[in-house]
Amino acid sequence: MAAPMNSVGKTSADRLQANCTSFQKKTRSKLISIPGTRPSVQNGQLLVSTGVTSLDYLLGGGLAVGTVLLIEEDRFDSYSRMILKYFLAEGVVCQHELFVATAQDNPDEILQELPAPILDDVAVPKPVEQPRPTGEPQDSLDAMTIAWRYQNLPKVQSALASSSRFGHYYDVSKTMEAEIRQAAKCHRFYLPDHITPSSAAHSARVESYSALLKSLQEVIHREGFDLATPMSKSRNILRVGLHSLGSALWGDDLCCHDKPRHSHALTTFLYGLRALLRSSLSVAVVTLPSHLIQDRALMGNITRLCDNAIALESFKGSERETNPLYKDYHGLLFVRQVPHLNCLARQLPDHKDLAFKLKRKQFTIERLHLPPDLSDTASRVSRGEPVGVASACGSGASGTKNLDF
Amino acid sequence: MLSELLQGIESGGFLIIRDSCSYSGRDLLKSFITAALNREEVIHVLCFDVSEEELKDGLKPSDTQRLHIHNAYSDPLGWTGHPNFTAQQFSLEDLTNLVKQTSHPKPAVLVIDSLSWILRHKTPPAVCQTLQQLRKGGAVRAVIGLLHTDMHQRGTVGSVCHLATSLISVAPGVKGKEAVARVTKRSKSGKVMQDEEIFCIAEDFTVTILSKASHAEHKTNSTEEEQADPTANLTFNLRLSDSELEAKQKLTLPFVFSKEKKTALLHPGPGSGRILYEPDANDDYDQEDPDDDLDV
Repeated sequence: MAAPMNSVGKTSADRLQANCTSFQKKTRSKLISIPGTRPSVQNGQLLVSTGVTSLDYLLGGGLAVGTVLLIEEDRFDSYSRMILKYFLAEGVVCQHELFVATAQDNPDEILQELPAPILDDVAVPKPVEQPRPTGEPQDSLDAMTIAWRYQNLPKVQSALASSSRFGHYYDVSKTMEAEIRQAAKCHRFYLPDHITPSSAAHSARVESYSALLKSLQEVIHREGFDLATPMSKSRNILRVGLHSLGSALWGDDLCCHDKPRHSHALTTFLYGLRALLRSSLSVAVVTLPSHLIQDRALMGNITRLCDNAIALESFKGSERETNPLYKDYHGLLFVRQVPHLNCLARQLPDHKDLAFKLKRKQFTIERLHLPPDLSDTASRVSRGEPVGVASACGSGASGTKNLDF
Repeated sequence: MLSELLQGIESGGFLIIRDSCSYSGRDLLKSFITAALNREEVIHVLCFDVSEEELKDGLKPSDTQRLHIHNAYSDPLGWTGHPNFTAQQFSLEDLTNLVKQTSHPKPAVLVIDSLSWILRHKTPPAVCQTLQQLRKGGAVRAVIGLLHTDMHQRGTVGSVCHLATSLISVAPGVKGKEAVARVTKRSKSGKVMQDEEIFCIAEDFTVTILSKASHAEHKTNSTEEEQADPTANLTFNLRLSDSELEAKQKLTLPFVFSKEKKTALLHPGPGSGRILYEPDANDDYDQEDPDDDLDV
């Protein structure tokens, strides 16, 4: 009659946030409880939220502490910057410490642009399968005459959501208030302050990455994130945000030349970063202008060295902008890699065709599905193929008509 | 959007004009210089590609007091003992000193003709860092550069253009003196605006925007194809008249319930089968410790 013990324990832990049961499993908790984190239901890793709940779902519940998330930037660096800001804002709200490193703009500029959290937590997006209120049954019943039992079910399950909410929601139109922001401790690394450009130009190696790594290591050690200090002090998580690593402003010619001279500088840095993160309570988000890197093998190396990797492709400025298939979305999202930490298999998302949309109160990532009715003139676009190719084959639309079957 | 850019670049802005060998962007660059001179701005030009006379050709002589041309054309690498301006001098300190030499109260606009020359003699990361510091430093108000895209690798062009706040790519137009400009503008808030315009440049370097280029040529072809209507030209009637439509809607189908029964089935009311359970002591069952007597 009673459910088996493990599942009861797990569901109660998830439901504790809603406080609908007073059941407490009697265990000795070996996991450190830090605000803003929760253990993963799959492998027990400590997870933090990225600030975007749909992205948390794609990465298997959240970002595991001690891992790196690589974001391949879109062409104009608008949405990757937005995700970085969500990540840092989530850190402020959960009272974690922040470490921001940039070469292009001052870190303070990014910190001033953080979105404001919606603190009363009312803005939960209502899932479509909620029953309509009983005050208006007429409208809903008139919708379907024959299949009326399916009325209240959603037409397509497109939004990605898990049962328990983990992160917070943010309002992009407002910036975070100064009091909330200043309550969080923030370490900054602005490259021109640390490296004088004249010395960098004459050096044979890329000095900026080693300076960044040293600075990060020093912060981790000084603030006690590396578990060297005894257990009495309360623990916290360090969120590291590295903006536009690998671009020319870091002194690296990875993006400039087809055969870069210092091709190992960034990969060595990522290796050292991952080693540093694994031995401390920190999590990193790195954005990289991958559209400028011409060497795909190097890009593959960089992806392997980071644990989680996603790529963003925005429709702005590309020929896909006018495709009717994409009119609701702002861009495509590709999950390049998901880690397998302390287990054998990865938890890849089921759906490979994902598209994102930045709304005022939410950054949603949804499955892209083909609409059922396609007339002759609309062309089916497979993933990765630009629309223009299909029409270039023949003369105008007659070419697509012949190819479409 | 091209005309807005001609009317003024915001402070801290970086404009790049990308051209290729099929259409030179120097005329557009000179129209930017002319427009800025008409706005009473001080301009410093680093002249690598063409000689000073050729650059001044066509500009009004009365404006030349505010126009300072640094001749890097005659000796860009410093082979004679006393060069005017060399490619190696493209660094923050040298440029700041250069601009400060002509002491004007307002910060100047720096025009670089062309960036390609500098990119061939200095590494792209160094050039990018210098340009970024020039923008942020405040020694110059704005930077305008000309870049020949076919002289560099794609990554180099991409890296330099990644820094730009406004980007104009020019290409030859369909008819004689016209050219197509693709303008991309990034604002401070992160919003990106794009536009494509056809323009032509007059003798005195004023730009007339002719029209917006139409992308829709291949789209209109596809919409021209008429949908064939399959219900036409049949020997039987597939359409309904109005009275037939009414009769159809009045027909009650079997297994169609009344509205009350439907609502009752769709929205189960309270008390129709909810299980209320309060967990008691027997549920506190730990499988690893069934007798509850381990003391760990």
